[in-house]
Amino acid sequence: MTLEGLDPVILGPAMAAGLLVLATHVPLGREVLRRGIIFIDLAIAQIAGVGVLAAHVMHLSDNAPAIQLIAYGAALVGAILLYGCERNWPDVQEAIIGSTFVVAASVGVLLLSGNPQAGEHLKELLIGQILWVDYHQLLHVAVIYIVVLLLWQLLRGKQSRLLFYLLFAVTVTASVQLVGVYLVFASLIIPALAVRHCVTGATWLGMLTGTAGYAAGLLVSALLDLPSGAVIVLSLTVLAVVVSRACASRGRRDTECRT
Amino acid sequence: MKFVIKQLPFICLLLLSRLATAQVSVFACEPEWAALAQEIGGKHVSASSATTALQDVHHIQARPSLIAKLRKADLLVCTGAGLESGWLPVLQRRANNPAVQTGAVGYLETTQYVKLLDRPAQLDRAAGDVHAQGNPHIQLDPRNYPPIAKAMAGRLAEIDPQHAGDYEAGLTNFLQRWASAMDGWQVQAQPLQGVQIVVHHNSWRYLAGWLGLQRVGTLEPKPGVPPTSAHLSKLLQQLQEHDAAAIIYSSYQNARAAEWLSQRTGLPVVELPATVGGNAQAEDLFSLFSDILQRLLAVTS
Repeated sequence: MTLEGLDPVILGPAMAAGLLVLATHVPLGREVLRRGIIFIDLAIAQIAGVGVLAAHVMHLSDNAPAIQLIAYGAALVGAILLYGCERNWPDVQEAIIGSTFVVAASVGVLLLSGNPQAGEHLKELLIGQILWVDYHQLLHVAVIYIVVLLLWQLLRGKQSRLLFYLLFAVTVTASVQLVGVYLVFASLIIPALAVRHCVTGATWLGMLTGTAGYAAGLLVSALLDLPSGAVIVLSLTVLAVVVSRACASRGRRDTECRT
Repeated sequence: MKFVIKQLPFICLLLLSRLATAQVSVFACEPEWAALAQEIGGKHVSASSATTALQDVHHIQARPSLIAKLRKADLLVCTGAGLESGWLPVLQRRANNPAVQTGAVGYLETTQYVKLLDRPAQLDRAAGDVHAQGNPHIQLDPRNYPPIAKAMAGRLAEIDPQHAGDYEAGLTNFLQRWASAMDGWQVQAQPLQGVQIVVHHNSWRYLAGWLGLQRVGTLEPKPGVPPTSAHLSKLLQQLQEHDAAAIIYSSYQNARAAEWLSQRTGLPVVELPATVGGNAQAEDLFSLFSDILQRLLAVTS
């Protein structure tokens, strides 16, 4: 038990990063859950990672903006490919997404064998750590997310599937660098799972669950001095179980009343 | 929040007790530098390490206490030469403590005080995990400690001038004990001169240099990249030509590659502590080297 980590300077930016990630990932996660394409975030992140490795092979290592551009570009190309797969082979979409993940990861290993230093950068990209985030970094992610959310809200009625894939690719490429793959997956899927039976205000309840999960996780990791990302994943899960039980029992009561 | 309020008196007490003792707070990137600071500073110093001996220092998991400790640190001691480049700059930025920023009195980079081996003549990215400034794993050559100890004592005296005399005395005492320990190790290590070993990767370069061990093979030529089958078959061939004594790997590395080779060659596998705390015996800098020598002598004699 230690109290020295309980410092708003330390936990503040991490909590802000969590709130930002939740703002986009809860609505997108509910869509992902509805479509049953759970592993799409891992596939997209891995494709962005391969893009970064390719950038290093092309000796662009020192050009940070170029690397970011290539990461987003690769993720968008991957999203278009996955969208094409969904249109042509909707029945095996989840299998294709899973295979895309391992293929992209293996291409990464092959690229790495000629250029092991790029491995450091790949790890930086895929294993972002929430505590290292500072407010300055959050600014450009916030801008990207606001654009994503606006487009999402504006064009939602049009049922554009391609748009969903593209927005998703941009969002995940940004968030993975901020908080890492585990937290991205957790923020996307766990709150969405928790509120899937809730009748009204599901998205808001999902965000509330997520916020409580991040806050509790950060506090526990500060008090017990444990790696923050992993503790947040666990606290999100515990809260999600509680919320989904509550929702389920309320849902049952509602149906009983109606009948 | 409630918890914090409840604990407020306790926190105040903690802060007061810190003020009363006013120790110099040393934040070390690796356990060997925390151990060295404790040897020199004694009761005036409270040292902690960001990594443990069972961890690959290239990567660490972010914990809130790391930032908190660096915020309060008076002296940051790291290896440098690119070893911590993956996380130290971010940590320094997040801690935002002017006393320990690069270039300040409170930032000591130990590789600045010793001669680095394997400095590449020209930087070739294809050659693997090359460190442009040379091999940073300097903690395994005891001859590297005296110059670093002197630099550290100087910094401690500068940060805490009130106890400058004590740091001077601590340094002299450490240097004396270190010199006599090194004499003992030198005698003990006689039989190791010229012994051929297979290493996991280049982190054993300094130990081999000190003991006169001869490296006849490397399991993982490019760290982070699994060895190819061509490399492994070449390695097996090399080992038929040489009379290697053992395969060495450190306690933070995975034993699988070393065991694979051991099964095919019949060579013994030796797990060595890479630094203080690497096993139960390596409690401080002195026992670290004694233990390494004992383990090596056990398989070579």
